[in-house]
Amino acid sequence: MSTFRIKFLVVFLFAILSGETVMAQQNANQILRAVYLKSQKAKDYSVLANIKVDMPFIRMLPIDAKIYFKQKDKFKVESKSIAIVPRQGFDQSSKMLADTNSFTAIMQGNELINGTLTNIINIIPLSDTSDLILGKLWIDNKQNVVLKSQLTTKSNGTILMEYTYGAQLLYGLPDKMIFSVDVKKFKIPKSVSGDINNSSTETPDKTKDPKKGKIYITLTNYQINKGVPDTIFKK
Amino acid sequence: MFWKSTYNEFLKIAAKPRSYIGVGAITLIVGIILFAMKVDGHNFISFVTQPFEQSLSFEGKILNGNLIAFIILQMLIIHVPLLIALVTGDLVSGEGAMGTIRLLLTKPISRTSILFSKYLAGCAYTLIILLWLVFLALVVGKIIFGTGDLMVLNSEGLVILQEKDLAWRFLSGFSMAFLSLVMIATLSLTLSCFSENSIGPIVSTMAIIILFTIIGALDVPVLQKIQPFLFTTHMVTWRNFFEDPLPVDKIISSAIILFVHIIGLLAIAVYKFNRKDILA
Repeated sequence: MSTFRIKFLVVFLFAILSGETVMAQQNANQILRAVYLKSQKAKDYSVLANIKVDMPFIRMLPIDAKIYFKQKDKFKVESKSIAIVPRQGFDQSSKMLADTNSFTAIMQGNELINGTLTNIINIIPLSDTSDLILGKLWIDNKQNVVLKSQLTTKSNGTILMEYTYGAQLLYGLPDKMIFSVDVKKFKIPKSVSGDINNSSTETPDKTKDPKKGKIYITLTNYQINKGVPDTIFKK
Repeated sequence: MFWKSTYNEFLKIAAKPRSYIGVGAITLIVGIILFAMKVDGHNFISFVTQPFEQSLSFEGKILNGNLIAFIILQMLIIHVPLLIALVTGDLVSGEGAMGTIRLLLTKPISRTSILFSKYLAGCAYTLIILLWLVFLALVVGKIIFGTGDLMVLNSEGLVILQEKDLAWRFLSGFSMAFLSLVMIATLSLTLSCFSENSIGPIVSTMAIIILFTIIGALDVPVLQKIQPFLFTTHMVTWRNFFEDPLPVDKIISSAIILFVHIIGLLAIAVYKFNRKDILA
């Protein structure tokens, strides 16, 4: 084989591989764009939420709350009870997808989630100062919704979110969300807590990861695009 | 005759200036705590929730009257016994010191009845002190901070109790705290039967509380065997009513131990008072 033929073959293969990479990236961006556009259909909404916390070091009964959201990033949880919600998650994906120039999206492969074929897309921020370190989204590209996401941030650690959709699939709004979060070991001085003579006799559940907690949020009675006054978010 | 004697004993307590030291001290301390919490309570809450703040957000009114009442009670319930002993430790020995015991025992009523009159009056005083503490902590606390769910602060975790679930817990907790304080009143009354001056029983009661509290707090295996039998270990049992699930066995066992202490000490007091030499 002549030198010319070898050079031609190398250039040809490089062109094909580069082209495939560029196409994969473009394809990933298109999927993300479609998901983002769907999430933008709901300009505002309010929804009733039942929040169940299964967290190491925290014991509480499920509580009811009302969640308000308004584009672009107004978010409020209103509850008579003490509610524990993830610091990020409700609108994090759509916020992240708003600016496609701020990250590189790479298609990683496919995975079946509850019988639905999803595209796995990795998101790597371009800016060094970005809070996000790595995002991973499992997207149902037929419905253009995120079924699962894993976000690793500098400030909030890693959070895994699973979404189940129902009546509000048209708007890309879930009926149920499960958040898995990292929790640091909890310890406060006995002088603060006051349980001076209290020594825990409970045997820790070895099947549970003591550093992982879950929050289950069931959402019902969505009121979409009916207007949410700004005053709600100022309270 | 017994009830009249009890009423008279209560009037004696009410007439002594030292009886108001407890009321005054509780008012002052609770006032300071309420002021401090109003000014800087959110920092206190942040300190507690800090380990979760990285990934979780706490919504709702955490700093409320129920939490303030809980904090005040756990701060003060250790110290209130000292204020109780100040009065109940003087019930018998005070009569001896003033020389009124001979006159008292000339009444047509048995010595045991006289002792029980004093004891009941002491218990009534204890109840008033506790109710005053509850009023300041819970009622005034709710007026200032409003109401809401209670975040129970434990050293190894948080228990969040819903507001609707709190009334019976506070009532049961206060009842248990009252039982603990009655135990202190019984101890100081018993010591009072052995003394001819007021200072001895009061200081002895305080010394026993301090000693037992220190023994109870030490994580030394040899001491851990006796810790369950110390009454000071069970003085914080009121907190168990704010646990979920409720540790019923622990509460019952604490109540039994406190009752056994009370009955035992009362028996010693009756025995000693009936044999007390008032002619010497």
